Amino acid sequence: MRTKVLVLKADGTNRDEEMAYAFKIAGGDSKIVHVNQLRDGSVKLKDYQILALPGGFAYGDDIVSGKILAIELTSFFKEELQKFIERKNTAILGVCNGFQVLVRTGLLPFREIGKMRVSLTNNDSGHFECRWIKVKVNNKNNSQFLKGMDNEIIWLPIAHGEGKFIADEEILKEIEDQNLVAFRYVDENGNPTMEYPENPNGSLNSIVGITDTTGRILGMMPHPECFVRREQHPNWRRDKVKVDGLPLFENIVKFVKNEL
Amino acid sequence: MIQKIRVQTIVGPDLKGNGILNDIRRLGIKNITRVSAIKVYRLEGVSEKEAKILAEKLLSESINQRYTMNSTSEESESTSEVKPVTIEIGYKSGVMNPEVASITKAASDLGIKLLACDSSFEYAFYGNLKKEEVEKIIEKLKLYNPLIEHIVKDEPRTLILKGQPGKTETISIRSLNDQELLDLSKDRLFLNLEEMRKIQEYFVKEKRDPTDLEIETLAQTWSEHSGHKTFKAELLVDGKKKEPLIVRIKKEALKYNKNIVSAFEDNSGVMDFYDGFGICGKVETHNAPSAIEPYGGAMTGSGGVFRDIAATGKGAKNIASTDIFCFAPIYLPASQLPAGCLPPEYLLKRVVSGVRDYGNRMGIPTNNGSVHFHERFRARPTVIVGAYGIVPKKYAIKDKPEINDLIICAGGRTGRDGIHGATFSSGEMTADTYTIHSSAVQIGNAIEEKRMFDALLEARDQDLIRLVQDCGGGGFSSAIGEIGETLGVTVDIKNAPLKYQGLAPWEIFLSESQERMIVVLDPKNLKAFEGICRKYNVESTVLGKFDGSKKLKVYFGKEIVGNLDMKFLHYGLPRRVLQAKQPAHLRGARVTSEVAGGSLRGGPQNEKEWIEVLEKVLSHGNVCSKEPIVRLYDHSVQGTNDLQPYSGKNLDGPNDSPVLRPVLSKQYGMVISHGLNPVLNNIDPYRGSIWAATEALSNFVAVGGDYKNASLINNYIWPFPDQESLWSLDRSVDAVVDFMKIFKIPVISGKDSLSSTYRGADGSVIKIPPTLCISVLGKIEDTRKTVTADLKKVGSTIVLVGEMDKNLGGSVYHQVNNLEIGSVPRIDLKLLPKTFDAIYKGIRNGQILSCHDVSEGGVISTIFEMCVGGNCGVNIHLGGVTSSHLRGDRMGSSEVSGLLFNETAGCFIVEVKDEKVAKQLFKNIPYITLGKTQKAPVIDVKNFFSAEVPNLKKVWQKPMKEMFS
Repeated sequence: MRTKVLVLKADGTNRDEEMAYAFKIAGGDSKIVHVNQLRDGSVKLKDYQILALPGGFAYGDDIVSGKILAIELTSFFKEELQKFIERKNTAILGVCNGFQVLVRTGLLPFREIGKMRVSLTNNDSGHFECRWIKVKVNNKNNSQFLKGMDNEIIWLPIAHGEGKFIADEEILKEIEDQNLVAFRYVDENGNPTMEYPENPNGSLNSIVGITDTTGRILGMMPHPECFVRREQHPNWRRDKVKVDGLPLFENIVKFVKNEL
Repeated sequence: MIQKIRVQTIVGPDLKGNGILNDIRRLGIKNITRVSAIKVYRLEGVSEKEAKILAEKLLSESINQRYTMNSTSEESESTSEVKPVTIEIGYKSGVMNPEVASITKAASDLGIKLLACDSSFEYAFYGNLKKEEVEKIIEKLKLYNPLIEHIVKDEPRTLILKGQPGKTETISIRSLNDQELLDLSKDRLFLNLEEMRKIQEYFVKEKRDPTDLEIETLAQTWSEHSGHKTFKAELLVDGKKKEPLIVRIKKEALKYNKNIVSAFEDNSGVMDFYDGFGICGKVETHNAPSAIEPYGGAMTGSGGVFRDIAATGKGAKNIASTDIFCFAPIYLPASQLPAGCLPPEYLLKRVVSGVRDYGNRMGIPTNNGSVHFHERFRARPTVIVGAYGIVPKKYAIKDKPEINDLIICAGGRTGRDGIHGATFSSGEMTADTYTIHSSAVQIGNAIEEKRMFDALLEARDQDLIRLVQDCGGGGFSSAIGEIGETLGVTVDIKNAPLKYQGLAPWEIFLSESQERMIVVLDPKNLKAFEGICRKYNVESTVLGKFDGSKKLKVYFGKEIVGNLDMKFLHYGLPRRVLQAKQPAHLRGARVTSEVAGGSLRGGPQNEKEWIEVLEKVLSHGNVCSKEPIVRLYDHSVQGTNDLQPYSGKNLDGPNDSPVLRPVLSKQYGMVISHGLNPVLNNIDPYRGSIWAATEALSNFVAVGGDYKNASLINNYIWPFPDQESLWSLDRSVDAVVDFMKIFKIPVISGKDSLSSTYRGADGSVIKIPPTLCISVLGKIEDTRKTVTADLKKVGSTIVLVGEMDKNLGGSVYHQVNNLEIGSVPRIDLKLLPKTFDAIYKGIRNGQILSCHDVSEGGVISTIFEMCVGGNCGVNIHLGGVTSSHLRGDRMGSSEVSGLLFNETAGCFIVEVKDEKVAKQLFKNIPYITLGKTQKAPVIDVKNFFSAEVPNLKKVWQKPMKEMFS
């Protein structure tokens, strides 16, 4: 049986189709579900193995990005989400706006639904930014999603205005101590960087994305779902290009299938 | 009571505050030391306890913010600095604040019911200043737009808007004399005397006077914006009778119908694609609104053109957006700005922000565009927005409505915004435009449109829809009037959901509130349709039905407020006969320089002069890098982009056209491009228009497109069509028709905007340069058979392909040298198809490694951009050039400058492996081998100059970097 992937959509979500496509070619059975379908009970989270929160501007990113959807999820689905993450072999991926929602629900980094510990805030540049950047996979992170990507430097596109990862010192230390950082922005030489535009938003510790302590919830600002075939890279005509986004989806699908 | 919550970011930079401080510094004001921005929320109908919950859970985040409740600004500022001057800026009452719906929803999710709420910004200005001084600075900064925003002076007592519906009035038109008819028309209806008389006649025959709703409906249907009176007029050009412009375009276009699915019939033109799909395109202008409120104007321009795609047939999906702007030069001295016009720098920044905020939120990639400058765009900016879509062909054509079919309004609510937009945009710009027409400003809410599109596409795929019609200019009156033309309709506009009470029926009917769509359904599909709307949080309401009466019958509850014959509404407008006359200054050729570039004292005399002029050209607004703008637009969303706007070693080499794969699992794709040149068009409307069309199609071909599978969209942005402007318009249309003839491809959509003239109170008149913008959409079998412009290899051969005309009139080279001489380049149209074919074939079989078309800035700018992408250089040796008028061995500085700065469209710079490949690929067309690529990032032109690419790049990137960082 193909793994069932729920791609969650709300008003203003806009990268749902790419996300569904990426999971599909990675072997998943994706369904785009509007949050209202969860609310009216016509679709149930328990019937799925993977919950994917795609990019976009859920509810216009009013107040701050991802806030309104996060409140909706924590108000109505606290228990269901709790059950979902407690089930074995489930996975959650939040990309861009989805990452913003995950941190605002408290699912990331410490699986505390309703407790926000870290934030994604306005880029230091003060504006939205769309470009391709290089990130390095943190080999200390044990998440199965990153299997086979140790220390790799990969290309991914970013497109966001609120991607600066912040947390107070203690929390940041905890995240580092527990090796929850999944990727960091790196410069030409592969070293973590705080320089614009390689670090496009000024994220602390060059953090691109993090996992929870179990490694089964991953949130990240760049869009792996928009790099699942070679031609999506701007330089596939001049460089040898490896499709860097797809392995993540394949890993997630294999993980929930217990094939990793 | 209202609970007021103020939220301040305390960790990390205060971006908004610092941004304002930067702008203040740029104005040269030094006595402000700091600006901080505080978000203010006002909540009505909740207790202090509930407000506290909202403040903590919804409105602020403790990680980096702090909030205060019901405190004044003074109390909450606990710094030791001198008390700041604080100023709060909020939306005017009645203007939709998009955030309100989200706050209300989230509060309700948290179990708290708000009666009303609002949000605004409070700015604290630190420094030794008085409030009046700060207010003056704010005005100078244009920190807020008084049309939609205001400085909050008093605490509001309630946020709930109340109002009684306005009354319908009867206008005693039958008794008016000619002067009174004109007075009635002025500043409101924008109709001429003949048209006013026709309306009078109709009501005399009807034996009654019209309602305000009827007369407004007629005025908008007959407006230039909706009626295209000039394009439909009989023409007398220099005394010679000519067919109407639109007839000439259509007639020629429909001859080339191989790929046409629908042209000139729907809200966008549709051409054939693959696997049963069609692709469609629409390009619009939004000049008038953008001139007075550039942010909202650009937003709603984008929103409107996206709706055109969504309202094509039974609904198409938007897959790309393009944006093309023309402004006065950024550093235009304030003294040269006409009264009532906004400065170009402000316009550019705000327009870019509007496009960014709407397109990005819609999830539609913005991946093609350009910015052009000409001092006469100070009369009115030109803001061209394009949208492209994909639609299964079975849904590409609208069904004919049947009697009893329902008319549904879906999407946003109706407010007073945008009333008179269609009629207003048909008027010229004056010093009073800014104040009188403030209601013509529309505010956009992208999320409203996004969810509506999501719902409509699902309804379409369940085959529930007969047709979708966009509520654009003219609102309901236009959308319902158009779809009801054949059968007749009855609607009750009291059913229309309103943003607030107090609108008169005619205001409801004419409102151009955004994000609304009219949908026609078979009644049996109503329930299913409403279910889908509910799923997506989209409001939908039945307004009325088709009744077979051949009338437009409008009720407001029980009261009939409009009853017009459809025939009169749509065909009563008298066809105009217009005179066109060649302007004296365009009679006879301009002084043509005998030798290209020869008038420049023989061209640059030494390396220093060469580099100086090259830097001037590269930093010219029309040539400089627009990357900082492009990076603000999401061009990667949808994952379809197989040829990105920038590529190359440092991802900063610009490309000609995007190549999209709208169906992710398939290899076939779509190419989109455009071309325009207001400067050339102004000098020579025919040749300038040919140049624009050639440039557009060259961009298409340069990435690997086959011109035979391309379709064109033409947009005419002209001054008011007086006799002389009409003459140039006629020439431009002739050019477009000739262009179609040569390439045997059709124009499938288009639009005219004929009002970009400014009339000052002192009698001064400024006309924009007449501007033809040609956009191209087309299909390509395999997106992998395309190339970018960045140079790929060291040691490959660089070739100039195509016939170069010697004329440099209007070139950037001439502009930076302040020369107003010479003809516009003449493009050899007979040769052009062969050139395009050769390029297409060379790209398809992989022999062309990179390609970039020659455009503004000329040959050398094209080569330079390719070097930027390749992070390399070229070694150019012109000794081998043997073209008809250029003999390499004898070329002096003037000939070399005439070649390197030449802007003949339809020429390409290509990179191939070696001379042998060039010889084989281009055997039937003119080409010149220019030299070879080299690793060192230097442009060497043997015997003339050597310029470092990194240095040039700095100069080329500087203007927009400064503007947008």
